[in-house]
Amino acid sequence: MWSMRAAKLVAIGVIVAGTLVAESRKEFHFAVGPRAGVSVMNPYGSISVKPSLNNTVVVNAILHSDKVEVDNSQTGNRVDIQSHLLAGADADSGRVDYEVLVPADSSVTLHSSTGTLHAEKLHGDVSLEGAGASVDVRDISDAHVHVKTMNGAVNLDNIKNGHVEVDSLSGDVTMRGVNGPLVQVVSTSGRISYMGDFGNSGEYRLTSHSGDIEATIPDWTSADVSARSVRGEVHDDIPLQPKNHTWFPVDKGRAFAGTMGRVAVSSTVVLRTFSGKIHLRKRSEKNNN
Amino acid sequence: MNCVELQQSLAEVEDASGVEQRAHLRACPACSALVKELDMIVAAASDLPGAEEPSPRVWNSIEIALRQEGLIRPQASRLPLPSYAATSFAVRWGAARWLVPVAAMLLLAVGIYVRRGAAPGPLAQHASKAAVVANSADLNDVDLKDEDLMQEVADNAPAMKSQYEENLRQVNESIRDAQGVVDESPNDEDARRSLMDAYQQKSMLFELAMDRSQP
Repeated sequence: MWSMRAAKLVAIGVIVAGTLVAESRKEFHFAVGPRAGVSVMNPYGSISVKPSLNNTVVVNAILHSDKVEVDNSQTGNRVDIQSHLLAGADADSGRVDYEVLVPADSSVTLHSSTGTLHAEKLHGDVSLEGAGASVDVRDISDAHVHVKTMNGAVNLDNIKNGHVEVDSLSGDVTMRGVNGPLVQVVSTSGRISYMGDFGNSGEYRLTSHSGDIEATIPDWTSADVSARSVRGEVHDDIPLQPKNHTWFPVDKGRAFAGTMGRVAVSSTVVLRTFSGKIHLRKRSEKNNN
Repeated sequence: MNCVELQQSLAEVEDASGVEQRAHLRACPACSALVKELDMIVAAASDLPGAEEPSPRVWNSIEIALRQEGLIRPQASRLPLPSYAATSFAVRWGAARWLVPVAAMLLLAVGIYVRRGAAPGPLAQHASKAAVVANSADLNDVDLKDEDLMQEVADNAPAMKSQYEENLRQVNESIRDAQGVVDESPNDEDARRSLMDAYQQKSMLFELAMDRSQP
């Protein structure tokens, strides 16, 4: 009985020790000035960026094996971090997970093929790119937010006064409380969901080929809306003032166009899909997203 | 030779010294201005330090972009561009080889501008027809170009091959659908924009595949 238990403990110990040996942690600190540039290129693994309390960039990296190392450099006000795969590295052994703290006004560029890309509470430009990476961006203000993914899901939450451009082939794109001078999403087959009020005097273009597009907006929204699905259906739960002139044929069930709210501050909203469905919904009081 | 043909011919005869090129340039202020700008870039590029050699990734990006626009055709044998093209470019252009990516991007921008020209004048109509022909040619070449992409993915990210294949299929379908609507309604600005978006999505797929192979 005791020998059996001892054997189990030894086995567990070996596994834990092996994990500890294989996995290592690195930490880097960089002093930077205002509006620094920070770039993290990571073939495999996640990257999370949050604001730091001072003018320091802090990079915590968890390396999952000795087949990958972290290269870092600082040139003036720019910090570059790169996962450097060594011979024989693959998606598992080459994985590095990053947690990065940057001054809130930094411009950030993140790139990973497979991990999650996360950025929050910043007011510098944010650019995130990755084939299979899922993207989560929240609480960003007065900045450009550019996202490119192949099939990773994209979630944007509370982006204020942003210049937002999202390109995704098949990943779903979900936006909550996103507004600004330009909000543009292009998707091939992913679903696009927008929950918010389309801000003031912005341009909102949500485009897909076969993915559905759904916009859920409150009563007080001011917008000039055009929606068109070439082969799919459109549904409009909100009474719009019809427009006298559109640049496309308004076939019933396939397109609608109209205005709502105050013209002086209305945003231009274009919803367009080839074969997907478009649904403009009124936000219910119960679902106050 | 019309504007589109001249811009395409610049990929073959960069200095616009051909007989047809010169004849067109005499009659076309827009193309004449374009060639002058290219010459200015060549002149400015000679001041660039030779040490700033573009990475192999730049050459790959240019090759893919030019193929997508139908400005070059795939080679019969798949020579690696960095060793083949970069050497010949380096010999011919010296430090001015930085001109090539700049010129390629300029040509693409002009090409897209001409395709999008919505004015229904004779030039726009001609350009539109040329664009349709060019796009048809692009689609005919799709298989070969896509094979190159999939080979790249198979070599460098085999685990993601099926995902790339599926996304490639979808984006090719979207290009065909959008092209069909443009063919039916050439003046439909919405449809033209959809076509442009579809090409951009495909371009992004290539870009992601290339980035994927960077480690």
